[in-house]
Amino acid sequence: MGHEAARHSTAQVHASGNAARAAEPPLLAVQGLSVRFDGAPRGVNVVDDVSFSVSKGKTLCIVGESGCGKSVTSLALMGLLPTPPARIVAGSARFDGRDLLTLTERERADLRGDRMAMIFQEPMTSLNPAFTIGDQIAEGIARHRKVSKAEAMERALDMLKKVRIPAPEKRLRAYPHEMSGGMRQRVMIAMALANDPQLLIADEPTTALDVTIQAQILTLIRRLQEETGTAMILITHDLGVVAEVADEVAVMYAGRVVESGPVDAIFEDPQHPYTIGLMGSVPSLGRRQGRLATIRGTVPPAELMPKGCRFTPRCPFSDSHCANDPPPLAEIKPGHQARCWYAPLELHRGAA
Amino acid sequence: MSMVPSDDIILEGIGLKKHFGGGGLLSSPTVVRAVDGVSLGIRRGETFSVVGESGCGKSTLGRLLLRLIEATEGDVRYEGRSIVKLGKGELRGLRRELQIIFQDPFASLNPRMNVGDIIAEPIWLHNLAKGREKRERVADLMRTVGLLPTHADRYPHEFSGGQRQRIGIARALAGDPKLIVGDEPVSALDVSIQAQIINLLEDLKDRFGLTLVIVAHDLAVIRHMSDRVAVMYLGEIVELSDTDSLFDNPLHPYTQALLAAIPIPSPTNRQPKALLQGDVPSPAAPPSGCRFHTRCPHARAVCKEQHPALETATDGRQVACHFWREIQGAGAGSISAPPSPALARRLALYRTWRERQDKPVATSA
Repeated sequence: MGHEAARHSTAQVHASGNAARAAEPPLLAVQGLSVRFDGAPRGVNVVDDVSFSVSKGKTLCIVGESGCGKSVTSLALMGLLPTPPARIVAGSARFDGRDLLTLTERERADLRGDRMAMIFQEPMTSLNPAFTIGDQIAEGIARHRKVSKAEAMERALDMLKKVRIPAPEKRLRAYPHEMSGGMRQRVMIAMALANDPQLLIADEPTTALDVTIQAQILTLIRRLQEETGTAMILITHDLGVVAEVADEVAVMYAGRVVESGPVDAIFEDPQHPYTIGLMGSVPSLGRRQGRLATIRGTVPPAELMPKGCRFTPRCPFSDSHCANDPPPLAEIKPGHQARCWYAPLELHRGAA
Repeated sequence: MSMVPSDDIILEGIGLKKHFGGGGLLSSPTVVRAVDGVSLGIRRGETFSVVGESGCGKSTLGRLLLRLIEATEGDVRYEGRSIVKLGKGELRGLRRELQIIFQDPFASLNPRMNVGDIIAEPIWLHNLAKGREKRERVADLMRTVGLLPTHADRYPHEFSGGQRQRIGIARALAGDPKLIVGDEPVSALDVSIQAQIINLLEDLKDRFGLTLVIVAHDLAVIRHMSDRVAVMYLGEIVELSDTDSLFDNPLHPYTQALLAAIPIPSPTNRQPKALLQGDVPSPAAPPSGCRFHTRCPHARAVCKEQHPALETATDGRQVACHFWREIQGAGAGSISAPPSPALARRLALYRTWRERQDKPVATSA
C-alpha cells in the first residue's frame, strides 16, 4: 500500500525531531491512525495513516478544509466516535504512557473531562439550555473529584474568574441563553479546564465568533496555557489563527497529513502544493496583489478518491505517478515533512 | 481597480432607519435600532463594502437598499429616483436590475426545483425569453459561472457548497442586473472555494459592468475586493473611506480595533495586541453619546454625552469621532506581512502551472 514507506519515514522524523527539541517523550503521540466509515469504498479511510505528537505546554494546529478528517481525528482521540459507523482500523495514540485506543469505555470516560478535555465550535449547542452555567461546570468537577456540591460550585466560580468573565457570581446562576457567543465560549473553556487537563482539544473554537471576540478568546487560551502548561490541539481552517498560536502544524487533506512541521517552517518554507494553494487562496491584508491563486475543483467523493496522492485531481503539478502511487510523508528538513513526490517544487517542477 | 467617477451615484440611501419591534399590540416592547440614520451613495461600477460585527446592522442595510424590507424612515434613490414609494408592478421591474446573493447557498435555493428552473425563473418572470431561447440562456449562464450546462436537470442537494453559490450567482445574473448586493457571499465557504467565488465575482463585474455591494465581516476579503468601505457599529456608519486609506491609516478607533484584531498569517510577526474589551452592546439599548464609548480606549467625558456626526476628513473620507485628529495613526502599522521568499517563489510556480491546468477545460475557476 505504500504505507510501510510512509510509516518508516515518519517514525524516523519523530525520533530525530523529538531528540532535538526535548528529552522527555511527547504527551500525546499518534502513530498511523486510520479511521474507516462502514460502507465507504475499499481502501478509502476517512482518516488515513495520520501521525503527530504534542508536547506539554505546546500547541499543535491541525489545518484543513471541511471533510479533511480533522474533526474525526480529534473525536477518535477523545473516544467520541460512534461505532458503527466509524471504526478505528489501525494506529496507536500514546497519551501519558497509555494507548488511548486500547482502553475500555470506562477508562476513556475517566480520562475525558479530566486528563483530556475538548472545546467545540458552537458553544450554544454544547451547553445544556436547561441548567445554569454553574451547575454545568460543577457537574464535570463532581464526576472526577471527590468533592461536595458546595466545593464544586466554589471551583466553578474560580474557573469563571480565571476565564475573566465579568460579574462571575451573577453568571454562575445564569442560563446559557442569557450570555453572548463570546461569553458562552469562555464558559466552555472554563468547563474544559476545570479539572486541570493535560491535553485540551479545541475544534474551531473561534470560528463562530466576531473578529474582536476571536482575538479575546485566542489571547485568553494562550494566557491560560502559559499558566497551566496544558498541551493543546487546535483544529482550524484559518491560517491567520494558526500563525498566531501554533508551535507545530499539521496540514490535512482528504484524511491524510500532507505536510507537517514547526509553524515557522510551514509559513516560511511551505512544500506541499495544497499548502501553497491554500496560502494563495487567502486574500492578503496588504495592498492588492492581483487575482487570488485558486485550487481547482473540490475534494473528490470517496468513490472517486485516487489510488495515489489524494490531491492529484486538483494539483497543478500532478502526473500519473501521483495518481497511482501514494507519496510518503518524507522529510524535507529535520521536523518538516511533506507528502509530495515533487517537493521541493522548484527542483522538480522548476522548468516551467 | 478601475477608476470610478465620484459623482455618478447609482444607488443612494438617505437617513435610513430600520427599527424592529415596539409597534403593535403583539410585538415586543423593546425597539431594536438595527439601522439608525445611515446615508451613503454607491458609485456606478465600484465595489462598495459594508463591514462590521454581528448585530451591527450591515445585512439590514443591504436589504434596505434593495427595498427587500421597508425602511422605518429615510429614502432610497436608484438612478436618482426614489424607490420607497413604488408600487408592486414598478418594483418588480426594478428587481431585475437590483439583485442579491445570499450567504447560505443551502438555504437560498428551492430544494424542489432543478437548477435549470431556478436559473430560468427570473427569465420567465420578466418575460425575457421563451422556449429554446430560454434554455440557451440558462446554459449560457451556467457556463458563465463555471457550471456544466448538462447539470441543469439536477437538484440543489446534488451540488457542493461552492457550486450552490455559483447557482445563486447565475440566478442573480439571469435578469441582466445593474447592481448586485452580496450578503456575506463567501463566508460559508471553505478557503479554497472562497477564492474561486471571489475571482468569479470580480470577473463577472468586469464582464457585465456591474456595481457590487458586498456586506461582509472578513476584512481580508473586503480589502481584496472593494474600492470603498463603510464600517458600521451598532446601526451607524462610523467610518467611510476608500479601501487603501482605510487599511493604511484607519481613523476611527473602532476601525483601528477591528484591524488590530485580525490574526496575521505570519508566525514571525507575533506581537501582543491592544485588544478591544467587552462585547457589542445591545442595539435595543445603545449607549448614549458616541455608541462606541463603552469599549473605546480613547473615550473621554464628552464621548458619553455628545453623539459625533459623520464628518468629512481628508481626501473625502468620512469619520464619526470627536477626536479622530488626535488619535489617527494609533491603529496604523504593519497589519500585513509579505509572503516569505520561498512562498513567493513557489506561489509564482504554482500560478504558472495552475494556468496550464486550466487551458484544456475553459472554466473560470
